Amino acid sequence: MTRAWSLVTSLCLILLLAGLLLRNGILLALAFPYLLFSLIPFWRSIEEPHLVIERRFEPQYLLGGQPCRMTLSIQNMGNHLEEVFLADVLPAGLRVEGDFTYHGMFRSGQTVKLFSTGRGVRGKYEFSGVRVSTNDLLGMCRHEKFVPSVGTLSVLPAMERLERLKISPRRTRVYTGVIRSRESGAGVEFFGTRAYVPGDPLRHLNWKAGARWDILITNLFEQERVADVGIILDARGVVEVRVDGESLFEHSIQAAASLVEYFLREGNRVGLLIYGRMVEWTFPGYGKQQRARILAALAKAELGEHAVFKELEHLPTRLFPSESQIVLVSPLLRGDVSMLRYLHALGYRVLVISPDPIAFEKRFLPQDECTALAEGIARMERNATLSKLRRASVNVVEWDVTIPLRIPMKQAMVGMKRWSVG
Amino acid sequence: MVRWIKRLPIVGNIIFLVALFYHGHTGVAIIGGLLNLAWALDEWFPSQIRRFFRPWALVINTAFSAYGVLSGKPSILALFLAGSSLLAWNAGLFLERWSDAPVIIQYRCLRRIGTLSALGLLAGFSAVVLQGRLTLFFLPALLLMLAAGILWLRIISKALTNRNHG
Repeated sequence: MTRAWSLVTSLCLILLLAGLLLRNGILLALAFPYLLFSLIPFWRSIEEPHLVIERRFEPQYLLGGQPCRMTLSIQNMGNHLEEVFLADVLPAGLRVEGDFTYHGMFRSGQTVKLFSTGRGVRGKYEFSGVRVSTNDLLGMCRHEKFVPSVGTLSVLPAMERLERLKISPRRTRVYTGVIRSRESGAGVEFFGTRAYVPGDPLRHLNWKAGARWDILITNLFEQERVADVGIILDARGVVEVRVDGESLFEHSIQAAASLVEYFLREGNRVGLLIYGRMVEWTFPGYGKQQRARILAALAKAELGEHAVFKELEHLPTRLFPSESQIVLVSPLLRGDVSMLRYLHALGYRVLVISPDPIAFEKRFLPQDECTALAEGIARMERNATLSKLRRASVNVVEWDVTIPLRIPMKQAMVGMKRWSVG
Repeated sequence: MVRWIKRLPIVGNIIFLVALFYHGHTGVAIIGGLLNLAWALDEWFPSQIRRFFRPWALVINTAFSAYGVLSGKPSILALFLAGSSLLAWNAGLFLERWSDAPVIIQYRCLRRIGTLSALGLLAGFSAVVLQGRLTLFFLPALLLMLAAGILWLRIISKALTNRNHG
């Protein structure tokens, strides 16, 4: 029943009651046209729509700002529907242009295709289904139904192509890669010399050293292998800085995505841990599928507050293979130093990419003496934290988010042969 | 097409109102006439005002019909006023929902509205006749009864067919 039906039925009942109360037969006669309209829902029952819905996204994973072509194909497998209104239930935050509603006749077997274009910021957009409303032509009765048709559109974080980073975890994996393994074998980098033993390739003989010592000496080369890299994204609410709708966390995600892309491109085994409301762990893996898995996890990453995860102390270190490389992306708090020292003591190589919260926030503040003073105090505190980490042999890259990440990475590598010094 | 089917009964409303209230209740006729004139032109109103206005136009026209009956005016005119208001309101309702409907759907909708309005009017008319307020000669009475009966049977059979198929 609809509001129109309620109106007609109310008028009919008022006329009938008035006619009975006043004993006026003409008022009763006046109620007849209304009565017929109000009886329509009892005459004509609306068919239950039987629809088959198929949803397609091209592409399913897209970068921020990139358009996605969405196709919703709805087929009527039931009876002919005279008037139907179909509306795709759109997830919040997604900007959609084009057709996502249909109003019209829907014949049995007919297929309606709705084409639209969606754009959104980083995130995971869940489509739940289609709202179907069937009316009779007189607008007296309506049947509403929700037909589920799930679909997920992921808008991936923006990424930056990073240049060569030198990491040197204590333990590498068996497969050939680009990370020095500290073991001699097949490689291109000189590692050392030893006395020749039968079976060594003759082209590796070090003639100069042999002439000096009067024995045959062969060159050794360092094996280059792939390594385990665990990337930790700090998603604790306490480290977030949000000003004028811009979030520092988004930059952290961008950095994490860039690192994932780089390390996987180099053939390493990469896992991702999002540490915030809870521990979200993407199991380590190689290749493009792993890249897609991690980027999907980053697409839905959210900040979270949890008493247990307020400090880094509860970081589940056992998730990372021992003596592997850990990369923490975090603006850092003063209390995080002890945990990072502990990780280093356990044998992990730790690299911290720290988006600078002070530089980020300063852009939005008035440039006066108070701001300068506050910045000076905050900067001193931050520098103290970073120098504590550096003294503990944790490599730290401080990143002003207004410049591309590759620039501070490159600067930090100058004069440093390997990340893991000390 | 539906647009004109909405406008014509509104013009009819104005005529019926003037005919009902011209003698004795000129003020009511003028107010009713202006209201219906506004209703005829409501397509130019903002949609929110239009949505608010349409049900009230039906309610007020029904009230005028009832007032006409109670004040002893010709009951047939009051019946026609109520019937044509209902017709115009329902056509407007369809236009509101589906202004660019295909012609086949417009025909189908008009047929249904027309059938129901005609049947309602005939039933009301019969009730008035049965109460002896209107004297009919045998031939017109027979023709009206036959028309009403055929219409009624047609509707019943159609409803049964739909139910069986459903």
